[in-house]
Amino acid sequence: MSFVLGTTLLAVVTALACALPGVFVVLRKNSMLVDAISHAVLPGIVVGYFFAHNLDSPLLILGAALAGLIVVLGSEWLSRTGLLTGDASQGLIFPALFSGGVILVTLNFANVHLDTHAVLVGDLNLAAWEQLIIGGVSWGPVYLYVMLAVLLVNLAFLGLFYSKLKVTTFDAQFATSLGIRSGLLNTAFMFLVSVTVTAAFNAAGAILVIALVVVPAATAYLLSTRLPVMIALTAGIAVTGALAGFWVAYVLDAATSAGMSVFYGVVFSVVLVATRLRQRRHRNVREYAVASSP
Amino acid sequence: MTVTNIVHTAGAPIGTPASPDTALACSTQGLSVAYRAEPVLRSVDFAVPQGVVMGIVGPNGAGKSTLIKAMLGLVRPLTGASEFFGQPLARTRKRVGYMPQSTSVDWDFPTTVLDVVTMGTYGSLGWIRRPGKRERARAVAALEQTGIPDLASRQIGELSGGQRQRVFLARTLVQAPDLYFMDEPFQGIDAKSQQAIVSVLHTLREQGKTVVIVHHDLATVRDYCDHVTLLNRRVVASGPADESFTCENIRTAYEVTAGDDAFLEFAS
Amino acid sequence: MSLIEFLGNHTYRMVFFGTMTIGLVAGALGSFAYLRKQSLISDVISHAALPGTLLAFLTAVVVLGADGRNMIALIIGAVIVGTLAVLFANGVTRVSKIRIDTAMAVSLTVFFGGGMLLMRIIANGAFPGKGGIQDYLFGNASVITIADLTTSITVGALALALMLVFWKEFALHTFDPDHSTVLGFRARTIDTLMFATIVIATVIGVKAVGLVLMVAFVVTPPAAARQWTRTLPGMVALSGLFGAVGSGVGAYLSIVLGRVPTGPLIVLTLFAIFLVSLLFSPRRSIITRAISRTRARAALKRELLLASAPAEGALR
Repeated sequence: MSFVLGTTLLAVVTALACALPGVFVVLRKNSMLVDAISHAVLPGIVVGYFFAHNLDSPLLILGAALAGLIVVLGSEWLSRTGLLTGDASQGLIFPALFSGGVILVTLNFANVHLDTHAVLVGDLNLAAWEQLIIGGVSWGPVYLYVMLAVLLVNLAFLGLFYSKLKVTTFDAQFATSLGIRSGLLNTAFMFLVSVTVTAAFNAAGAILVIALVVVPAATAYLLSTRLPVMIALTAGIAVTGALAGFWVAYVLDAATSAGMSVFYGVVFSVVLVATRLRQRRHRNVREYAVASSP
Repeated sequence: MTVTNIVHTAGAPIGTPASPDTALACSTQGLSVAYRAEPVLRSVDFAVPQGVVMGIVGPNGAGKSTLIKAMLGLVRPLTGASEFFGQPLARTRKRVGYMPQSTSVDWDFPTTVLDVVTMGTYGSLGWIRRPGKRERARAVAALEQTGIPDLASRQIGELSGGQRQRVFLARTLVQAPDLYFMDEPFQGIDAKSQQAIVSVLHTLREQGKTVVIVHHDLATVRDYCDHVTLLNRRVVASGPADESFTCENIRTAYEVTAGDDAFLEFAS
Repeated sequence: MSLIEFLGNHTYRMVFFGTMTIGLVAGALGSFAYLRKQSLISDVISHAALPGTLLAFLTAVVVLGADGRNMIALIIGAVIVGTLAVLFANGVTRVSKIRIDTAMAVSLTVFFGGGMLLMRIIANGAFPGKGGIQDYLFGNASVITIADLTTSITVGALALALMLVFWKEFALHTFDPDHSTVLGFRARTIDTLMFATIVIATVIGVKAVGLVLMVAFVVTPPAAARQWTRTLPGMVALSGLFGAVGSGVGAYLSIVLGRVPTGPLIVLTLFAIFLVSLLFSPRRSIITRAISRTRARAALKRELLLASAPAEGALR
């Protein structure tokens, strides 16, 4: 497999793996929580490295995902105390965890050599560097298979628990009255989001992972009145954006994730304006009909 | 069917039920709920015989919705416990349906009316199974029963208040429970929707189902309910409407001074 | 190191007073973001400061031929673009069914992604005084100059003055937006003014502590202050005080300890203040609340059991 093809595939698979759980992230009003999770990745990696002594170990992803879960559960606990209002509970824990991570890195904790800014910014081409070679033939970047596994796990989870996720998201109280364990389901789902964000930061960088998770689903949300339609649109936008963003970044010689997030943003804005115009035209037509009727 | 008569007034000892608990659709014993340190319900003993339409009536902030939520485990009680058909909720969940006040719902959720009604079947599907043809057929039937089959493919946010209430009633009907809890089903709806809901209530009564309704319009209590519980943080009176829904009890529940005639005309 | 020795050193003094100014302004103005239930908007603003400062840098170098690291230019650029990001996020929720959390996430990533692309363009060109991305992500408190300090004090004072002038409007609008509209105050005007002050509070810290951690300066002090006070003036004052003290202590510790970076240590200090407030404030805290709740529960239980004693077991 050529380097460009492998890297493109990696971009597409990463975008899909992030965007699909993004549908429920957007519907559950958890978008900024992804931002919080993505910052908790850093201390998770440092501590994970302490145990694994290897930057490529899957233990690292698991450790970082657990740190993300600490942010999720911690924020929920803080807002349940009833002592805080608004979204403040989501903004209290992650800067502290992130600061802890930065301090651990500068103190050379566990001799981890980590570019803190690389964690935040990421580089798809670097992530695609190491190739999987079997029998002398290149099978594309190793990381492609990591992201493929994450994508499959996400697909399996969303497929199996689709109905439950839908009903708890739509009407949590009713779901509880049906005997659905909403809390457990929520924790499992956010853990999966955490794993996805962690796995994807290598390719996209912790900050721009949010774009991959949130923006395609947000765009699809504007366009759909049915959940299956929203999911299909999300997947379509994610793939198109990955390809277009890859190309933009290639032309500008910039980080792929930056190209992708800007492209997603443009698509979102265009759709927003278009739906807005359509609404206005509908309203004008109706007003015209009312005005012209005797 | 033996109907347990448990009329009692505040402070008075509770009469011993004449028949075993299984004749009760649901009951609570010493149920208290406190938000923070403020008690909302004080030691509520509440029992609903099978096959009646029980109205829970009381002023704003009396804890009517809280009583239902605490019974269904949506709010954690401070003291006391609830039983359904003589058993704890976990064992009898499938026989109990709940129609919440529609405030907890996300109206922009990308879903159709039929989808929402089908959600009523999710409880009986277990963890992983998906709804199929049979579940959807049941949902269509429930929509017909509430008189809105033509709205099936609309997005849920496009409906009027009354239509939304009918959707939520249909969602509860789909569960085919034996005991219905309805939280203010007549709140802010049009006359046509009100009629539709009333006719469903009549059908349920004919089928021998038990219905518990939170209601706050005193004028219509007698039309819908054959049993009434007057509630104001504690149970003021509970039992057949003729015995419980009296001037005296209403005055006590609404804390009005004697002689205010506006309240008298609804009473038994 | 004694305090006199510490304050005798020029660099230390700059770091100390520079971060204290940031903490004071961000803490005080963060109160309104907190009460407006939109604390995380500061994270959007700080990320949008990246393209803002880069654009200012380009304008200064290419158009004006001035020094690209000019603090005033950078702040103006960041304030303009930061305000745009806020308007974008709030505008999206107004014209569509998208909710604020998602709108903020979209705004954050789009502006930051744009900043990353600009960064690359600058990196490819030969501009004097260009910095690396890590300078923006983490900032550097040890390069605060006298000019920087005066700029942040001036701009911060301006934002605080705005807050004092429009105090009544801000208070009314955060407490009850509908009522304030009914009284004839244009909601959007107040909103824009209020968010402008929050933008300034966020932006003046980016150079010293970086765009990643700035959110903590805006979110943490008000959340801590809220636990101790019941009035708006009290909350704003205490929040500013917590911000200033937390920053001063954090900066002092980072210098005394040596290798530890300033921004993260300040954030941890602020977080510690928050935890102490949450756990031990006398009126509202987890512990006092747990105690009073347990007491009330016990009293209520006793009372209820006494009341129903004659009927006990009647239903069984």
